[in-house]
Amino acid sequence: MQNFNFIRPDNLEEACDLLVRYKDRAKLITGGTDLIIALREEKLPNCLEIIIDISNLKELNYIKEEGKYIRIGSGVRHAEIANNKLIKKYAPVLSMASSVVGSPQIRNKGTIAGNIITASPAADTIPALIVLDSILVIRKGKEKRKMFLKDVFEGPNKVNLKSDEIVCEIYFEKLPLGAKSNFIKLARRNAVDKSRMNIAVVAQQNKNKEITNIRISVGSLTPIPERFKDAEDLLLGKLPTQDLIQKAGKKIAEEMINKSGYRWSTEYKEPVVKSLIDRVLNGIVEVE
Amino acid sequence: MAANRKIELNIKVNNKDYKLFIASNKRLLDVLRDDLGLTGVKEGCAIGECGACTVIMNGKNVCSCMILAGQAEGAEIITIEGLEGPKGELHPLQEAFMETGAVQCGFCTPGMILSSLVLLKNNPSPTEEEIKEAISGNFCRCTGYKQIIEAVQLAAERMRGGGM
Amino acid sequence: MYKIINKSVKRIDAYEKVTGKAKYGADLNLTHQLYAKTVYSKYPHAKILKIDTREAERLEGVVAVITAEDVPGNNIMFGKFPVLAKDEVKYIGDGVAAVAAESREIVEKAVRLIKVEYQKLAGVFNIKEAIDKNNGKVHSEIEDNLIEHSHHLLRSGDIEKGFKEADVILERTYQTQFVDQAYIEPEAIIVIPDPYKVGVEIHGSIQNPYSIRTNVATVLGLKINQVKVVQSTIGGSFGGKDESVMLMAARSAIIAMKTGRPVKMVLTREESFLESSKRHASKAKYKIGAKRDGTIVAVENNVYTQGGAYNNKAMFVNWRASIHAAGPYAIPNIKTDIYGVYTNTVYGGAYRGFSAPQIVFANESLIDELAEELNISPQEIRIKNCLKPGDELGTGQILLPGKIPAPLEKMINNVCKKTDFESKRKKYIKERESFNPIKKGIGLSCTFRGAGLGGEGIDSASATVTIDIDGSILIQSGLVEMGQGMRTAHAQIVAEVLGVSLDRITFCNTDTSVTLDCGPTVASRGTLAGGNAMLIAARKLLDRLHKRAAIMLDCNIIDLVSENNFIFNRLDKSRKLTFKEVVEECLKGQGLSLSAQGWYTPGPEKLSSETGRGNAYPTYSYGASVIELNVDTQTGKINVEKIVAGYEIGRAINPQIVKGQFYGGILQGLGYALIEEVRNKDGYLETKNYDDFLIPSSFDMPEMEVTIYESDDPVGPFRAKSVGELGIELMAPAVANALYNATGKRIRELPLNLERVLLGKTLRK
Repeated sequence: MQNFNFIRPDNLEEACDLLVRYKDRAKLITGGTDLIIALREEKLPNCLEIIIDISNLKELNYIKEEGKYIRIGSGVRHAEIANNKLIKKYAPVLSMASSVVGSPQIRNKGTIAGNIITASPAADTIPALIVLDSILVIRKGKEKRKMFLKDVFEGPNKVNLKSDEIVCEIYFEKLPLGAKSNFIKLARRNAVDKSRMNIAVVAQQNKNKEITNIRISVGSLTPIPERFKDAEDLLLGKLPTQDLIQKAGKKIAEEMINKSGYRWSTEYKEPVVKSLIDRVLNGIVEVE
Repeated sequence: MAANRKIELNIKVNNKDYKLFIASNKRLLDVLRDDLGLTGVKEGCAIGECGACTVIMNGKNVCSCMILAGQAEGAEIITIEGLEGPKGELHPLQEAFMETGAVQCGFCTPGMILSSLVLLKNNPSPTEEEIKEAISGNFCRCTGYKQIIEAVQLAAERMRGGGM
Repeated sequence: MYKIINKSVKRIDAYEKVTGKAKYGADLNLTHQLYAKTVYSKYPHAKILKIDTREAERLEGVVAVITAEDVPGNNIMFGKFPVLAKDEVKYIGDGVAAVAAESREIVEKAVRLIKVEYQKLAGVFNIKEAIDKNNGKVHSEIEDNLIEHSHHLLRSGDIEKGFKEADVILERTYQTQFVDQAYIEPEAIIVIPDPYKVGVEIHGSIQNPYSIRTNVATVLGLKINQVKVVQSTIGGSFGGKDESVMLMAARSAIIAMKTGRPVKMVLTREESFLESSKRHASKAKYKIGAKRDGTIVAVENNVYTQGGAYNNKAMFVNWRASIHAAGPYAIPNIKTDIYGVYTNTVYGGAYRGFSAPQIVFANESLIDELAEELNISPQEIRIKNCLKPGDELGTGQILLPGKIPAPLEKMINNVCKKTDFESKRKKYIKERESFNPIKKGIGLSCTFRGAGLGGEGIDSASATVTIDIDGSILIQSGLVEMGQGMRTAHAQIVAEVLGVSLDRITFCNTDTSVTLDCGPTVASRGTLAGGNAMLIAARKLLDRLHKRAAIMLDCNIIDLVSENNFIFNRLDKSRKLTFKEVVEECLKGQGLSLSAQGWYTPGPEKLSSETGRGNAYPTYSYGASVIELNVDTQTGKINVEKIVAGYEIGRAINPQIVKGQFYGGILQGLGYALIEEVRNKDGYLETKNYDDFLIPSSFDMPEMEVTIYESDDPVGPFRAKSVGELGIELMAPAVANALYNATGKRIRELPLNLERVLLGKTLRK
């Protein structure tokens, strides 16, 4: 176990000040499910001096409805998100994703902010947050800035946040009335396993069954989590057919190879992503 | 490399208040086992996978290997040692685990019972699926889980009946 | 008719486990103890040029650093395992130094300060490379990388003639992976210097205390009686807590002797995966010949097991394999050869099944392939060929009715009937063409298993039963409880014989200074051999008690009955004494000893080394199972839905515990079949903890329906024979057969993971 001093600030402001003061020499802890593993393996830089615990800050622990937005404090646990009524009503895809993270124990501890900062390509909540077009509220000292979640990722396990910045909030627009969402997780084991692949989708059809809103994100496929715009464009405004859905799946597989190259796992992932896209869309879309 | 300063830790464990001074890089697991001698809390993998170190913290089951000790400041913790009544009466879950053959090597048993306890507090009549879900983060290598699930069902029935 | 046995009484070690009070190795602490840790190799194969320990030694709180130079006795233990590697590391788990310090934190820092200079060497990393003569050697003195004494064979009939008679001949190759026992408790040891004996006392998670004692004595250059081993509560072992614990005990003992302080060594999960034994990986070539009507006339097989860098089990594992390799079938012509090879990888050892999971997967897959080829149902081909009363095994041993049961025909038919096997199988073949990507499948497998050690070694067991003045009873065995329920089974046997209630009995932890060496707790012999020893000891005491009671009650000994804590005259039940009264009279009134030792030995089995023929085992247990599953043909994900299994075990001393053994065996069998794999890449271990080495969770277990078949097999105590290992071996072939039924795809390599099921091959980084 690495050495460090442990500080538990009383409020967010104090935490922000500490972080500004210590920068690279400090690390934040909320859920800690990734950080403690790294500390145990002594993988954090030698300059680490303090761990700042923000896991109990009430200022970061809320899920609220504000006009057309749902706002989630960055300290909220997966288990709370999975069971929250607002999330179930306005963003069921996130509730579904949060409910299959790790184990009950991990869900009682881990946070989506942690998922975001770790930026594991296999994280379950990220594709769900991506299809919700989530926005992060980031604080540095007293300054606040916002950025789209999709822009925070730089690569596998890499985010472009400064060491003195804190993710305080994740917010997104409620899914519009009539929009449907779905989430699929594929793993080797039926519980406590990182995803081999996961897919989050949002879809909406008008009364003519034309797709008026479509958002697709797939985890473990590309170096950076994102929406698959080419495939979405293919579906948008169209009357969905099985053929069209298959084409969308094919598009996503192509995009995977374009972005990740032909890797050791591609031979498996290429056919599987096509099938799962087919399945996840057929679960919510009325097909001709 | 930073030195480990000692921190003060106030926790309530098994209904007893403690004020401890501990190295800041200890995990809750280390505090419970080494400082409080609660060796019913087991270490199996140290990465939050196996669930052997499960304790109940503020009403929720968590892996104590995944919590820095300082994060437990002010928390209420229950370990397997806290389940017996004042005269050593066993909890219905403990009785049921003995009766249905849910115990083999016993190493997962404390964590398994605590995860089951959290379930039964929130859901007195769980289905088999709900029991499986509740213990899905507690690995058992011996039993195939079947007799554990039976134990939780038996305990649930008795706790509902208020008999014990 | 029985009062205590054949009943599902509460385990006698359940209370301390449900209350968290049981003390496992890591829970033991002693004043002034040191914390020890091993420095492991950096490469799978390399010369050690220099070990610089100075920086570690300078760290405050470090008390001792040892290397191979510090081993006072023999650095090499049974199976070529070095306590610490001296000139060369042969696999990634080799220890090169060990450090002891005042705290866990300090020792963790200190091991990082040991500087070792290596010169990397080429290595052999799998069976193919080991056999190929151009790939170098693991041990310089062994030309062909063949593990000493690991070649076992069986010759029966005339194999060439057999294949000439065959209408159909199939040749297939099956492969299996390394897997870890993955007990939830990592290994833990505490060694206490013993100034009186000028030796050491060792406590911890030790499956085989006597072999650890012998090996540590050799390492320390001491006599065996200067080393004492006491077993702690063990958090699962399944064959695994042996070599790794031996290495830990040896290193810790050297430090304890050197420093005069207690030394505690607890492995992390990563270290456990690195240093503990695995189930041997294997490659099995099978050739089978049959008549058109399904009668099997010849089986030839050639099996290689991968032993890793060092090995002290392949010679035994492979012998067991040689007896069972042709399966539970009456086959006139058999030619079997099993070999073990060294590789620069993690090493094979004992893991529940001890060769059966590998060869039963091969053989039971092959039988289904043969049935398919002949267009016969899997059930029919098994019924036609399976061992029946009076049949002769490949070894020449005859299944004499009344002596060795042969119930497979009934068992196979029962599991098939219960699951509606044949009609579902046909239905699922038709549904292969359906639109739904989720296909259903059903698969069958059966097995037989030699009970106990058999010809592998001397199957003697010891027991000591002591009655105290208050009528309480202490029982001791040289065999150990690891979670399997052996203590409870032993206590039930003693209670039944003595006619007392179970609460009078306590069990003494195995302690090599008190209990007698009766070999390792392996081969599912705890109840069979150990229980027989308990039975003998208890009967000796019953005789003594009855002799006295006959005088006290003025009746014939043969009319005395012990039951419910009373001893009475069965002809006049009012003539009775309490058990305690008789005990008091024996001990205080007569000065008799009420301690008795039971020593059970079935005698050595004689086998020919040229043909492998002879009576390999005193008796056999049997199993048959049907698995129903569904497979997602678009992702390769298999979901096992239901298992119906039957096991013939003589008699269940405790049916609940017996079932628990089967449920647990099924879990490990399914893990083996579907998700578990210790992956080595060029000798480096890729699966380091439970996030990579996946074991089944509660959500991975299907509905299980287990039937226990009892028989009049006379070998074991109260007719009870082996249980522990039997559950595991039926799973992988039944899953593979069901997968074939669902998809028409035959996969001959384990595990049946996502990629293999979808693509027919595994993918590697």
